[in-house]
Amino acid sequence: MENLNLNKIAKMIDHTELKSNSGQKKILNLCNEAKMFGFVSVCINPHYVKFAYEQLKNSDVLVCSVIGFPLGMNTSRLKALESEQAVTDGAKEIDMVINVGAMRDKKYDFIKDDIKQVVEVSSPSHVKVILETCYLTDDEIVKACQIAVEAGAHFVKTSTGFGAFGAFPHHVKLMRETVGQHIGVKAAGGISNFKDAIRLINAGANRLGTSAGVMILEGAKLFKFAPKAWLEPEIPCHICPSRHASISKLPKAVYTYYKKKCFNCEYRDKYNKFYE
Amino acid sequence: MNGWMGKIIKVDLSTGKQETVEVDDKIRRKYLGGRGLGVKLYTELCSPQIEPLSPQNALIFLTGPLTAVMPTSGRFQVISRSPLTNTICDSSSGGIFGAELKKTGIDGFIITGKAEKPVYLNITDDGIEIKDATHLWGLNTHQTKEVLLKETTSGASIASIGPAGENQVIFSAIMNDKDRAAGRGGMGAIMGSKNLKAIVTIGTKKIPVADPEGLKELLLKIDRLIDKNPVTGKSLQLLGTSVLVNVINAHGMYPTENFQRGVFNDAEGTSGEKIAEILLHKRSACFKCSIACGRSTKTADKEGEGPEYETVWAFGAQLGINDLTKITEANYACNELGLDTITTGSTIGCAMELYEKGAFPHELKWGDADILEILVEAIAYKRGIGAELALGSKRLAEKYGRPELAMQVKGLEIPAYDPRGVQGQALSYATSNRGGCHMRAYMIATEILGSPVFMDRYSIKGKPEIVALLQDISAVVDSMVLCRFLQFSISISTFTEMLNVVTGLDFSDEELLEVGKRIYTLEREFNSKAGFSRKDDILPSRFLEEELEEGSSRNRVVQLYEMLDRYYEIRGWDKNGVPTKETLNKLGI
Repeated sequence: MENLNLNKIAKMIDHTELKSNSGQKKILNLCNEAKMFGFVSVCINPHYVKFAYEQLKNSDVLVCSVIGFPLGMNTSRLKALESEQAVTDGAKEIDMVINVGAMRDKKYDFIKDDIKQVVEVSSPSHVKVILETCYLTDDEIVKACQIAVEAGAHFVKTSTGFGAFGAFPHHVKLMRETVGQHIGVKAAGGISNFKDAIRLINAGANRLGTSAGVMILEGAKLFKFAPKAWLEPEIPCHICPSRHASISKLPKAVYTYYKKKCFNCEYRDKYNKFYE
Repeated sequence: MNGWMGKIIKVDLSTGKQETVEVDDKIRRKYLGGRGLGVKLYTELCSPQIEPLSPQNALIFLTGPLTAVMPTSGRFQVISRSPLTNTICDSSSGGIFGAELKKTGIDGFIITGKAEKPVYLNITDDGIEIKDATHLWGLNTHQTKEVLLKETTSGASIASIGPAGENQVIFSAIMNDKDRAAGRGGMGAIMGSKNLKAIVTIGTKKIPVADPEGLKELLLKIDRLIDKNPVTGKSLQLLGTSVLVNVINAHGMYPTENFQRGVFNDAEGTSGEKIAEILLHKRSACFKCSIACGRSTKTADKEGEGPEYETVWAFGAQLGINDLTKITEANYACNELGLDTITTGSTIGCAMELYEKGAFPHELKWGDADILEILVEAIAYKRGIGAELALGSKRLAEKYGRPELAMQVKGLEIPAYDPRGVQGQALSYATSNRGGCHMRAYMIATEILGSPVFMDRYSIKGKPEIVALLQDISAVVDSMVLCRFLQFSISISTFTEMLNVVTGLDFSDEELLEVGKRIYTLEREFNSKAGFSRKDDILPSRFLEEELEEGSSRNRVVQLYEMLDRYYEIRGWDKNGVPTKETLNKLGI
């Protein structure tokens, strides 16, 4: 890859500000930055949707609202109500969090209905379904993607950014392979530079959720002067979810799942000495 | 002409004569200003064999095309041949001096000759006056400032030397705006050798800008870029550069006791967090800077500025000292006496290891904080043991038969990142034209801080390419003349926009990078003619042969030679590290 199309990357970025301590000035800055740098949307909490819409109504930047965020444990009815309100306030995109506990309990019908209710009330706004991949095994991710597609979602999305870890190419690739080319895949969580962005795009993401969009685009301007050097592959462990699986943050079964993968990994002997 | 004021004055202190130096527009476009134009003018004025402390040597002070216009643009560059390293050298300083100088209507000035008795320069809209400074000789930099402000114009910016510069200590600094320093390479000694005590400057002229509306818009964008970057928008603001103490220590590459270890057990007690907790009085900022990384601090008895990261290390971990108050007061002393804190601390560290190994007759022990200020003063006045330490680490270690114990490259002491933990930074140290400097290509940004991307710090893959690229960009930033911290948040294209909106020229990113390459290669060409070559692009054997025993950088050495050939190839230099004729021609040198 010798050249990066920065405009194209900007149009993949949901410029994100979801912290509970973010005041209105931050959202105003976020909206101005989105216009200045050409991002596709601002991704914000529902409280600010109306305000952001007012800032952006004369631009081509969309407002995206998170729903049931960040735990996904609200009732389906509440998620639907929250979505309805967000759409009324000007949201053109809805990023809802699934009930991860129910997913792990294999309550697939419930998950499907949970998503479907949001999709129905949000139309014609698009719905992205956040799986929170850090808490799921590969099989569960595949299943969650299938359910999301069946429920009429427009995108599947890796993470809230508030979970144990964020987006990894491994999960994005799995999600893309599952949903095919007609459904979007959004990577979010921990995307802090253009190398992260390129890796996730190459893995199949066509949307990126990040608060570092400004830095990603600015940094990427250096890319053309040493493309190969900037993208020198790292030790595979650095971008492997198993390496980032933490005993204090993950359910026992998921932690064990990842560590087992790590133990059986083909790279283990070669790179184990680099563990810090 | 926009951006530049179009006037550089040459002052011969031997005769008192002044003349305007003509600079062709084409030369300005090829070298910009600051470091680049300074190196170009210097290489035309002085031979590579010139004795740095002789009257024949030239000392150049320059601003750049963005000075006094853009954020962080109060800076200036000083260019000459270093008495510490004998390489070509530029030293940069912040504050407001650069902005005030440019507002007098000149881009800078060149000092040659030697005054018969101490003098200072008073630079205003009306020109340059040479004034008697006999009454200032012997004063420290703070006292000098006080006297000169009473004598000249309130609100003026003052750059001066302290006793260290007067005594021609070869790592003495030029201090401006009280506590800002053109610290590295001994530029203060050159001022001292010319009997030039100080420069006072204040101006009122407007800087011509080609596109004022475009400038307004661009400033909004720059504000966002600075604010969104976690380094410039948060860390540097809240904790100053010492935010790095805990970070680098955690990476096992915080040089301790003259780089014998990479983990300092008392790092927390000397960290940016601790400075904020017990010493910080207020943040301080240079001209038009929203980052405000400066730390105005107070101890029980004294107040001043600092310590910043390199200084807290040089008087802390490097010497095994954990007393933050003593470290801070040693920093104050260096500011007042006019000494480079990195070389001062590192040379003391070298002496401590020499003593530990039985090679140095004076008792100097790790962790002895009580001697710090005494040693700093002794160095500035070259008294007793201070006369030995005033040699700098390279000459000191050579004198006592253990040259390998000086942690330096080309005579300039390596700062606070053990190269065994960062292969790219190691290459950057080794190939730096002014010696062991972290600022020629700050690879810590990418190898530790992930800016603009994370590169594997243990790997050598891709490092020669990125080191060369960052060296070139840094040369451009030093020549425009802006603060290097902007490089965290601003990339080459935005620098190009900044230059074009102010000058009205049509630089492309590629042309601007070629300017950087040209400057770096011209510096190298000068050094080559002065006798430097591959043999000098080397690190102390400690980094090539001895592994660190603890911390996350353990069990590694620098793979320098594996990177060096590729680096030369990228640069278009021969295997001896000398620019080829073809490269010189291609770059129009």
